[in-house]
Amino acid sequence: MHLDRGFWTATAVIVLLGIVAIFWWIYAPIQSIMPEAVDRARQIDLLYRFLAASGTALLVAVIGYILYFVFRFRKRPTHSPDDIGLQIHDNHKLEFWWTLIPAMYIVVLAAISVNLFFQIEPVNAQGNTLVIEALGHQWYYTFRYPGINGEVKEMHLPLGQPITLHVSSYDVIHSFWVPEMRLKADMVPGLINTLVFTPTRPGKYELLCTEFCGTLHGDMRSGTPNDPAYIYIDPPGKYKAWYDATQRANAHMSNAIAVASAGAVSLTGGDAAAGKSLFQTKCSACHALGPFTQKIVGPGLKGVLHDPAHPNLVNGDKATPDDVAKILQNGFNGPMGTMPNQTANGLTDKDIANLVAFLNSLK
Amino acid sequence: MAVAAVHSGGIADHIHPEPESFLRKYVFSIDHKIIGIQYIVTCGIFMMLAGALAELIRVQLMRANGGFMTPDTYNAVFTMHGSTMVWFVIIPLLTGGFGNLIFPVQIGARDVAFPWLNMVSYWIFPVAGLMLYSSFLMGAPVAGWTEYPPMSLQGGAGTSMWCAAVFLMGIGSTLTGINFLVTILKMRAPGMTFTRMPLFVWGQFVTAPLLMIATTALGAALAALFVQREFGVPFFDPTKGGSPLLWQHMFWFYSHPAVYIMILPAFGMISEIFPTFARKPIFGYKMIAFSSCAIAILGFMVWAHHMFTSGMAPTLELPFMVLTMLIAIPTGVKIFSWTTTLFGGILEFTTPMLYSIGFLILFTIGGVTGVFLAAVPFDLHAHGTYFIVAHFHYVIAGGSLMGALAALYFWYPKMTGRMMNESWGKWSFWLYMIGMNGTFLPMHWLGLWGMPRRYAVYDPQFQTWNQIESWFSFVMTASILLTIFNAIWSIKYGKKSGANPWRARTLEWQIPSPMPYYNFKHVPSVFAAPYDFAEPLPYRGLEEELTDSPPPVPAAH
Repeated sequence: MHLDRGFWTATAVIVLLGIVAIFWWIYAPIQSIMPEAVDRARQIDLLYRFLAASGTALLVAVIGYILYFVFRFRKRPTHSPDDIGLQIHDNHKLEFWWTLIPAMYIVVLAAISVNLFFQIEPVNAQGNTLVIEALGHQWYYTFRYPGINGEVKEMHLPLGQPITLHVSSYDVIHSFWVPEMRLKADMVPGLINTLVFTPTRPGKYELLCTEFCGTLHGDMRSGTPNDPAYIYIDPPGKYKAWYDATQRANAHMSNAIAVASAGAVSLTGGDAAAGKSLFQTKCSACHALGPFTQKIVGPGLKGVLHDPAHPNLVNGDKATPDDVAKILQNGFNGPMGTMPNQTANGLTDKDIANLVAFLNSLK
Repeated sequence: MAVAAVHSGGIADHIHPEPESFLRKYVFSIDHKIIGIQYIVTCGIFMMLAGALAELIRVQLMRANGGFMTPDTYNAVFTMHGSTMVWFVIIPLLTGGFGNLIFPVQIGARDVAFPWLNMVSYWIFPVAGLMLYSSFLMGAPVAGWTEYPPMSLQGGAGTSMWCAAVFLMGIGSTLTGINFLVTILKMRAPGMTFTRMPLFVWGQFVTAPLLMIATTALGAALAALFVQREFGVPFFDPTKGGSPLLWQHMFWFYSHPAVYIMILPAFGMISEIFPTFARKPIFGYKMIAFSSCAIAILGFMVWAHHMFTSGMAPTLELPFMVLTMLIAIPTGVKIFSWTTTLFGGILEFTTPMLYSIGFLILFTIGGVTGVFLAAVPFDLHAHGTYFIVAHFHYVIAGGSLMGALAALYFWYPKMTGRMMNESWGKWSFWLYMIGMNGTFLPMHWLGLWGMPRRYAVYDPQFQTWNQIESWFSFVMTASILLTIFNAIWSIKYGKKSGANPWRARTLEWQIPSPMPYYNFKHVPSVFAAPYDFAEPLPYRGLEEELTDSPPPVPAAH
């Protein structure tokens, strides 16, 4: 038979090489090549080690056997042209096992990935989280911080502070990627994507756009003349100093973000029912329909236009339909967090009229 | 009734008279073999164009600061490279090209079910190709072959032309799918049951429904994009109530099955080549055939794994992740079956065999990185980087194209009656292996280290690796040019092949080379699968095919 000594020697070599590959990936110094800047990075790297170890072992096995068979079963000069190979059609036992073992591997891999997925997804944002917004432009990034007016060009993150990062875009789809964080979210106009993480390693990191966004896509990365914004993970004291200085420097700026269609929105014909369903998809992530104190990111909105205890809106304007529309249109950067503007939220003028009609109906 | 018709030879025996004029014989031909060759030649021309664009990309990337092209030109170049390779080279080459040429003969048919439709499918191809390249004259599309809006709404007028060209090409694909499916279902020779079909026919049989069903989704997406660009209906514009993600869902609902359109026929090709040059039956015939079906069905349920960073509900990402991982199981079954086919064989390393072994190695690498990317947490890091570029080039250039090259060397005698030059062929294989791995292997770590794709300029720390890749890409190009030269040279100077130079056992090898207009003088009967080398050929009625007896008389109209 062909399962001779050569075959088993080859098998032994392949198994040995596979074990070496697995141990290499378990101990590979990933961190010294690619630092892990946030808590999520370490978890993702564990999955990477598992994938790389099992994948390399499989490649060693398949390619190893191919090369051995190619060498062992090559046509030799002693063969006559009419010689034929081993006439086997199948082997049900073998086929059963090489279906079952990969299936079991997939079950393990899926279990690991699903478990990790629930650890890194934004569903488990913590209570004391700092909410920041990153916005894509052609071809640079801006950031909005609670309590700082306007948009800033650099991102500073306090070490050890849980962060909830909302990303969106002003024009086309961009993407937010810091390789050392191992996290990425596309910045889609009209949609808010969220990353949740805690910085664990101080330093200066590059921010890169990975979703094609036009002429200068390749320049939408830290350190280019077009986009000088790096990301800094600072110790809390240093972060506080930056935050205070930036807050002072931006004090004169408006905290309403200008949008393309800056004219006032006509509120006639607003449909409260349409506004209600829109509220569920666009607003309910940050605003409850309960009383003012029922805070998610922003306040609860029950009776926002009819609450004698709160006659003014967060920007100091009177709580009138027109002023609520203005906030929906321009967004707001308040002490509680950042509310996206009309463009980033993907709201039409008609949507705003509907939402205001709905909010006005809450008593 | 239909079955009875096939078995009595009713449909299969109907022969059209052979056309006399040059125009009807070689240009507007309805003969599946001529149409197949037309596809292969046209694909070769488009591959040279797309290859030239690829080399422009590599030259630009030799310097981190670019400078060889403006960023806008670079963006147009990679967009056209991707669009051409996917829609105008790989898909038509594997289906319209080698599919047309070979599978009707392999099932014992005299032509496809709808020969005129076949001609229409082909002639859409060069017209659409000219339209695609004319977009260079009017502001070429720049947003990559995926053309995500709102970016694609900003591109020049050529982007609309791109929509129209790919839409037309999609119609050709759909027609080909219908044609092939009906042919395989209705026109098999007597006794050619499904489990006796050669595996290349299985590849085409599974691909055809994908072409029919998936391409319609692409057509709808392209039509919507065209209407938005030209008439302002805001399907994808978020400022007017549209959704950019709608495009991504529609596009990938096509483009993920399209990946299987590009690989399933290649699976079939190497499943023919391995037994022939190992002189032994394919291992696990049924598992290879049925795992193709499993891949095709699962292929429709995984499209959103291209969108893990785009912004979907987390509960939606999980099923897409798990279903994607499941595809590894049938794919693994195939890889193990092919590897085991080599076991105990008498392996003859002809050029097609070398390319098939290369396919097996490179496709396995691409498959393994595919499982990596299926895991959402890993994809969050690797998405949109050169790791993706490496992954899909291992699958497409290492898999599909390698399969097509194997098929070219293997079936060339059936087109021309001559062999391609073997020693040049072996040179081209080794150059391809070296060039391909040197170009795309380093992209894995470049991507993981932080190099995003589609960058006209990039971080200087990656420049050395990019230069290495570029030099190796020239080797790969040299290999392709050598093969194309070999194919042209051999038309006239190649060694005469005879009917069956590889001593293969499927039906196309039992008739003369080049194959006559009517394929078979008498439609054969089939009584076993073709891979039993210990047995006599499992066909009856082929005795006169290689003799001087007169060809069949066309039916009177």
